[in-house]
Formats: sequence, structure tokens, C-alpha cells
Amino acid sequence: MNTFAPLIKGYWYLLRGAGMTLLMAGAAVVPATICGILLALLQIFGTRALRSAVVAYLFVMRGIPLLVLLTFTYYLLPLTGIDLPAFWGVVMVLSLYYAAFMSEVFRAGILSLPQAQWDAARSLGMRRRLMLQIVIFPQALRLASPPFVNLCVNLIKATSLVSIVGLWELTMASREIVERTLAPFQIFLGAAGLYFCMCYALALYGRHLERRVLHGH
Amino acid sequence: MPFDPRFIARLIPALLEGAEVTVELSLLTMAICLVGGLPVALARSVRGPLAWLAGGYIQLVRNTPLLIQMYLVYFGLSMAGIPLSGFASGLLALCLQNCGYVAEIYRGGLQSVSLRQFEAGKALGMRRWTLYTTVILPQVVARVIPPLTNQAISIIKDTAQVAAIAVMDVMKVAQIWVESSANTYDVFLGVAIIYLCLTSLASLAGKLFERRLAFAQ
Repeated sequence: MNTFAPLIKGYWYLLRGAGMTLLMAGAAVVPATICGILLALLQIFGTRALRSAVVAYLFVMRGIPLLVLLTFTYYLLPLTGIDLPAFWGVVMVLSLYYAAFMSEVFRAGILSLPQAQWDAARSLGMRRRLMLQIVIFPQALRLASPPFVNLCVNLIKATSLVSIVGLWELTMASREIVERTLAPFQIFLGAAGLYFCMCYALALYGRHLERRVLHGH
Repeated sequence: MPFDPRFIARLIPALLEGAEVTVELSLLTMAICLVGGLPVALARSVRGPLAWLAGGYIQLVRNTPLLIQMYLVYFGLSMAGIPLSGFASGLLALCLQNCGYVAEIYRGGLQSVSLRQFEAGKALGMRRWTLYTTVILPQVVARVIPPLTNQAISIIKDTAQVAAIAVMDVMKVAQIWVESSANTYDVFLGVAIIYLCLTSLASLAGKLFERRLAFAQ
């Protein structure tokens, strides 16, 4: 099995790249989720001006490829004088971009609760904050969890784009090995396998959650 | 100097030339996936090894990044003695990935039609062909239009990644112009506007179709 010798030799390097990919996705998913929930709440409860601001934000984020945003942040950030390490710059773009998609997921979760839930909470004399806290959020988050996990899969896949702006993670690691060994097929196949392991595990978890949502709790 | 009119006058034709490649790639991918998703979805819904194969294919392409698939096709196949141009490998990777997504959309649409619709059709003595063409498929088509529109938008955005394998799409043209002119703001604005126009057009077309087919809901 000489064909796969480059892959066997480089597997530790690839694994370290995969670790970096997970680290990057993990660092981005937290702010993305928080911003996503905030955006969803603003879009549902905000004043008209706030609502249209959110809609404009979603329009821009959903209409422009992530690669364009990443590339231009890479070029523009030094011009604005903000001194941010490349890793955090990329994490910022990833989370701002995914916040737009997260907000849709959470908004759908909140809006898909039957009106009766709101009425019941209100008839018990609950203020909005309490109502959200103990009636709406627990149910909406459960409904939103399967698509949320799917978005996390997409986020992991999207981190491969940061290699184009020169950050080191799994895709970059595999490109480096390919440049050394000239064995693109084996190495990229190995990288694809690693991505598959990470994403498929998460996707399976999402499917498990979905089944739980569908068949009662 | 940002917003120099003479620079913009030279920039716009170049970007539009790149946009042409982006549009070509997107339209070709959409057309191929609309057709190609169908056999995959059908294979997935019968029992037996075919369903297993189709399911494996869908999971594989959905859980690995498009960029890695492009590298695999572009560098991997040329190493294996099948050199494809950047455009062809980009198209192949885009189709491979999105066929998986479109097939799942078709399957979801078919599953969302209530079993009673089938039973009612049979009770009326309809033949299988009549049942499918007059009762089931119109409902499926109406239901898959919104997710297909989303997929079309994501295809348009995904085409930006072909810039990584040296296809002169609008993204690559923009990269070259930024690097040669350092006029980042103008180029970024131009690219953003082009992508926003393309994705808005796609979502507008989806809305029109949806309204056209509203009778089937």
C-alpha cells in the first residue's frame, strides 16, 4: 500500500489541523448563537426601525458569499486600523455571518409555538420577560435545536474557507502536505474523511434531536 | 483614493465579465441538480441496496466541505490522469454537492404529502399515473419551491469558491483587482452589489413561482 504512504505520514499533521478547525468553529458558534437569539428577539419584539435594521442585516448577510466577506475583512481590517489577530478576525466574520442564519432558526422556533401558549401565559398575568423565560424559550429552543445543529455542521464546513485567506486549519494543513508530497488525491481524501467524521457525528446528533422533537418529549 | 470615478469606470466591465462566469456556473449547477436530484431521491425512497447507496452518497457530499471536494476533483483527478479545467471541476463539485441537497428536498416534499391523499386518489379509482400527475406531484412541486429557492441562493454564493481553483469568476476578478489596485472599498462594494443582485433575483423568481403554484396548497 505505497499509494497511501503520504497520507499515513501526514496523518498527525492533518489531525492537528482538524483540531484547529474544531477550535475555530467552537469559538465562532458561541457569539453566533448569542447574536442570533438577540437578532431573532429584535425582529419579533423590536420597534419598527429596529426590525427593518435587522431585516437589512439579514438581507446583506444572506446575499453575500462568506468567502467575499472573509477576503475583504482580510484586506480591510488593516486599513481601518483595528489590530486584531487573524484568528479572531476570522472568528468574528464567521460568527457575524452565521448569526444571520441562527436568527432565522430561532425566530422560526419562537413563531411556531401555538398562539395558545402566549395567551395562556398572559392570562396568568405574566410579564413579557417571565413569559419568555419560563414558557416560550424552553419550548422554542427545543424546536430550534435540530436546525441549529445542522447550522453547526455548515459552520464546520465553512471554516475550510479561511484557508483561502491564509489561516491554518485542516484544509490549509492538507494543502501544505500536498505541496510537499504531490499526492493531492490521497491527502484531500484524508482531509475529507476527517471533515466527514466531525460533521457526520454532529449530523447524527441533529437527527436524534429531530426524532425527539417529532415524537414528543 | 476610494470612489474614484475613473477607476470605477474601468472596474465595472471587469466585474461584469466575472459575473457572467458566476451566472453561467450557477445556472448550469441549478439545471443539472434539478434533474439529477430526482433519480437520487427516487433511489433513496425505494427499499434495498440502491437506497443505501443513495443515502451514503447524500451523507458523504453533505458532510464534507465544497472546497475540499473542488480540490479533490481539480487536483486529484488531474493526478489520476483525468485533467479537467477549473470551470469543469468547479461545476462537477458544485453539482455533486448540491444534487445531494436537492434530492433531500425532493424527498422531504414527497414525504410531506399526507397518506390520505394517496388513499383518496385510490378510492376514486385513479390509476397510479393519474394519481401522481394530478394529485400528488402538484402538491410536491408547490412545497419544494421555497427550499429550492434557498438552495439556488446558496448555489450562487457557493460558486464564489471556484476562485480557489483559478476560475475567473467575479470573486477571482475582485481578488486580482484588489491586489493590483489596493482600492479595496470600491471593489468590495462592487462585488457585494453584484452578489446581492444575483441572490435577490433568485429569491424573486422563487416568490413568483410560489405565487403561481399557490393553488396547490
